[in-house]
Amino acid sequence: MFDILRRRDFLRYSSVGLLGTSLSGWLAPLAARAAETGAKTKSCILLWMDGGPSHKDTFDMKPGTKDGGDFKPIKTSAPGIEISEHLPNVAKLMQHAAILRGMSTGEGAHGRAKVYMHTGYKEGIGGLVYPSLGAIVSKELGKTDFPLPNFVTVGNRSYGAGFLGPKHQPLNVADAARGVESLKSAVSESQFANRFGLLEEMEAGFFKQYQAGASVDHRTTYERALRLMQSKEAKAFDLDKEPTANKEKYGSGRFAEGCLLARRLIETGVPFVEVNLGGWDTHQNNFERVKQLSGQIDTPMSALITDLKERGLLDSTLVVWMGEFGRTPKINTRGDKPGRDHYPKAWSTVLFGGGIKGGQAIGKTDVEGATVTERPVNAVDFMATVCKALGVDYKKMNETPIGRPIGIADRGAKPVEQLF
Amino acid sequence: MTRIRCLLVLTAALVGVGSMLADDAKPTDPKAIRKARQEARQKAAAEAEAKTKAEADAKAKAEAEAKAKADAEAKKKAETAKSTPATPKLDHQPLTKKIDDEITKRLTAEKVPASPKADDAEFVRRLYLDLTGVIPGAAKAAEFIDSKDANKRAQLIDELLAGPAFGKHQADIWDNLLFQRTTDNRAVKKDPLTEWLEQKFNDGTTWDTLVTEILTSTGNQEENGASTYFLATLSADKMVDSTSKLFMGIKMECAQCHNHPFTGWKQNEYWGMAQFFMKVRVQGNTKNAKNGATPGVTESGQGRQRNLPESAKAVPAKFFKGEEPKVGRAEPMRPVLAKWLTSPDNKYFSRAWANRVWGQMFGSGIINPIDDMHDERVPSHPELLQDLAKQFAASGFDVRFLYRAVCNSETYQRTSKPVAGNEKDATLFSHMNIKAFTPEQLYDSLIAVLGEPGRDARNRPNAAANAKRGPVSAREQFVAFFDPGEGTKSTDYDAGIPQALRMMNNAFTARNSGNVAREITKGTSKEQAIEKLYLAAVARRPTSEEMKKLTAYVAKNTDGYGDILWALLNSSEFTLNH
Repeated sequence: MFDILRRRDFLRYSSVGLLGTSLSGWLAPLAARAAETGAKTKSCILLWMDGGPSHKDTFDMKPGTKDGGDFKPIKTSAPGIEISEHLPNVAKLMQHAAILRGMSTGEGAHGRAKVYMHTGYKEGIGGLVYPSLGAIVSKELGKTDFPLPNFVTVGNRSYGAGFLGPKHQPLNVADAARGVESLKSAVSESQFANRFGLLEEMEAGFFKQYQAGASVDHRTTYERALRLMQSKEAKAFDLDKEPTANKEKYGSGRFAEGCLLARRLIETGVPFVEVNLGGWDTHQNNFERVKQLSGQIDTPMSALITDLKERGLLDSTLVVWMGEFGRTPKINTRGDKPGRDHYPKAWSTVLFGGGIKGGQAIGKTDVEGATVTERPVNAVDFMATVCKALGVDYKKMNETPIGRPIGIADRGAKPVEQLF
Repeated sequence: MTRIRCLLVLTAALVGVGSMLADDAKPTDPKAIRKARQEARQKAAAEAEAKTKAEADAKAKAEAEAKAKADAEAKKKAETAKSTPATPKLDHQPLTKKIDDEITKRLTAEKVPASPKADDAEFVRRLYLDLTGVIPGAAKAAEFIDSKDANKRAQLIDELLAGPAFGKHQADIWDNLLFQRTTDNRAVKKDPLTEWLEQKFNDGTTWDTLVTEILTSTGNQEENGASTYFLATLSADKMVDSTSKLFMGIKMECAQCHNHPFTGWKQNEYWGMAQFFMKVRVQGNTKNAKNGATPGVTESGQGRQRNLPESAKAVPAKFFKGEEPKVGRAEPMRPVLAKWLTSPDNKYFSRAWANRVWGQMFGSGIINPIDDMHDERVPSHPELLQDLAKQFAASGFDVRFLYRAVCNSETYQRTSKPVAGNEKDATLFSHMNIKAFTPEQLYDSLIAVLGEPGRDARNRPNAAANAKRGPVSAREQFVAFFDPGEGTKSTDYDAGIPQALRMMNNAFTARNSGNVAREITKGTSKEQAIEKLYLAAVARRPTSEEMKKLTAYVAKNTDGYGDILWALLNSSEFTLNH
């Protein structure tokens, strides 16, 4: 097989050419590019709270008011800012955070609101499928020759690249503890080498006759997949490689594993990781469930931010905590236990790190948490804000395949300037 | 069980005694009947073939006559057997000639050489993929390649156009176009539409009738699969976007919120078309199947239209670039629209189909993008496009007519291998453009080689996958995973790293290739075994050079055949329609 491989003249057509000319080590881990930790380019971790977390029971408390709820606010490391008592560890890190309390977005159905908050465009408007934030970051900040995908989602499948095309589709890791699907060969290493050798030869033969661009792309994709299988960087997906002591800081459970995986990927150079935690759709039994969910995020989130800080990555990594909307200021009593319903009119998101000015709460809601009274932020403003924090030009126009220019953020976007 | 059965069938097919996998249908009545009909047709074709052969030996001129005769006989046979598609109203041959003339004219003018005719192996695989959506079985491929019949290409075209897989493939194409998943239609079942389309395409329903039935459908999904189209689309504006794109080949969507920047189309024209859908009402829940009965559609006009965007304008109903029809208050609007839209006088209607079919078959339309034709876009072959549209209308909107005319042309039958001087050409049709498999083609072709995913495969149906819509089939999951998403061109290979990883390392391909290869190659010589693997995966025999290397390879490696099959299934040659 080896002399077959040596004649891989096809490789020069490939944009990657990863196997290079040295045959001896072609299955051995490839020499890694220097991990670009702490680089100037920014990265983003989106902690997606699926279902829509109750703002009044987390980051915009209204204690002592009607329907203010059961929870007590606690002081945080940011003077004058209080958050829920069930987020005690996060409270200690609020000097790095800015709460946007004036979110007001107008989409109150889960599906449509999720699309809106991920893309900054209403679903289906103008007959297009819009790219989600991760795909935008992949396009604007991603590195084309990097062995790992530039957009990774952990947990449930999220939103994709839309008209930006397949290059910016996310790699979905359904379960952080199990890593990337099919990353390991199903047959022995030597048999896999033989198989890939046969494939290389077939590819060369086909290309010689047909000279098809699609064949080059096919080969490039396979080479990138192979490179991922062999790359040192792919170890980032393997949580077993994390020292136990550090792993324990994140706590246990899927979300904890997701946060740890996100840090490992960001550290390796992936510019965008989305970690999903479901269960926030608390129409019933709101208080017990939000307490329990707060407990699920408090340790992992605070560990993530501390870990990023200690590794010198927090200034270049924006951590976004958000869901698709907030929950009604009024408590419903339809079920056995009180709940809160969908509420896009006034709610909160939280940003950490990424070079923003921390320790502040921007925007205000009225005494009930029902109406924004100061610095409203709509979905378009929010998209522009996150882009600006990441160093992405939100006014830039991307073209659809038929040449329609579409802004990264829609017209009229006003980023939240107090952050910068 | 299924996998074992398919394996057996496959093995049988490979040793030449079975029929192709696609025919391995459930013995339900209509299918059995169809099968019987197909066998009858095959028998008739065999007779015609023998006759043609005898005459072909006599003289070259007589051969042409015999061909015409055989064609006439096949037509007659189709008529008497009341075979599903009606006898073509219009002879395709003048149009076939026109295609070649127009393509040659431009190639000559541009001094771009044409590539030669594709060999039989290249042709048979391409034709199966383009007309039936799946690669030919090994036995079918070998039979075709070995046949000495001079008329075999035309015969295979007729056979595939008449077979049930044609309708199945068309249903795949059109349900993807008619039904795009959004959060608003997430509980709407797609199957009723797929089944409806398959049946209509196989019944020989003409395009104008089919579109009319889709556009005017009422009733719930169970009664009328066509009503799925509105349930998937759900609002008047999106119906304008979709119908203008699919049935008129133009994209009006830009004019929804503002006047179109370069076509001069006005926002009022967009909303004038939208009025035709304003009386349509959805019954039942489209977001959650657990609540309520099967959703459906009426055109009562009672109650409010849901889901209209802020840009909606109240203007009178008006045909695009046409008149304002008078419609009574209580009368339904959609039949009025459908009548205008599907009329032979509506130049958009026939042109949209013509350019779409051309784009499907050649990987590039005469105008591109194929569904965004406006005056600013210059067609590569304006006269040809006009003729294709005109003749399609003259055929009575016979859906098979353009496929038959195209497939019989020299232009379609050219190799996709470039020759010196035409390597860069992608729009003059000097050689066939190479198209990447759709996810459906990839899945069905993998199944054709490997059998259905069995218990050991990880991507089998997962009942818990989507509780709101019920269990998702293995095919649906595979298709969703390999879906390249918006805005992809058929000539681009768009799968990413996750897809390549799955193709290489999932048990379905990684382990099955070993098992299946063992079955295929049992009790044969090395050369026969390798040949079978090649025929099964890429519908050709290996070259002598390949044979030499691979026989040496299997002599040295215990699982050598499995390795070869794995490599074949992961190759460009497999996953590209060339």
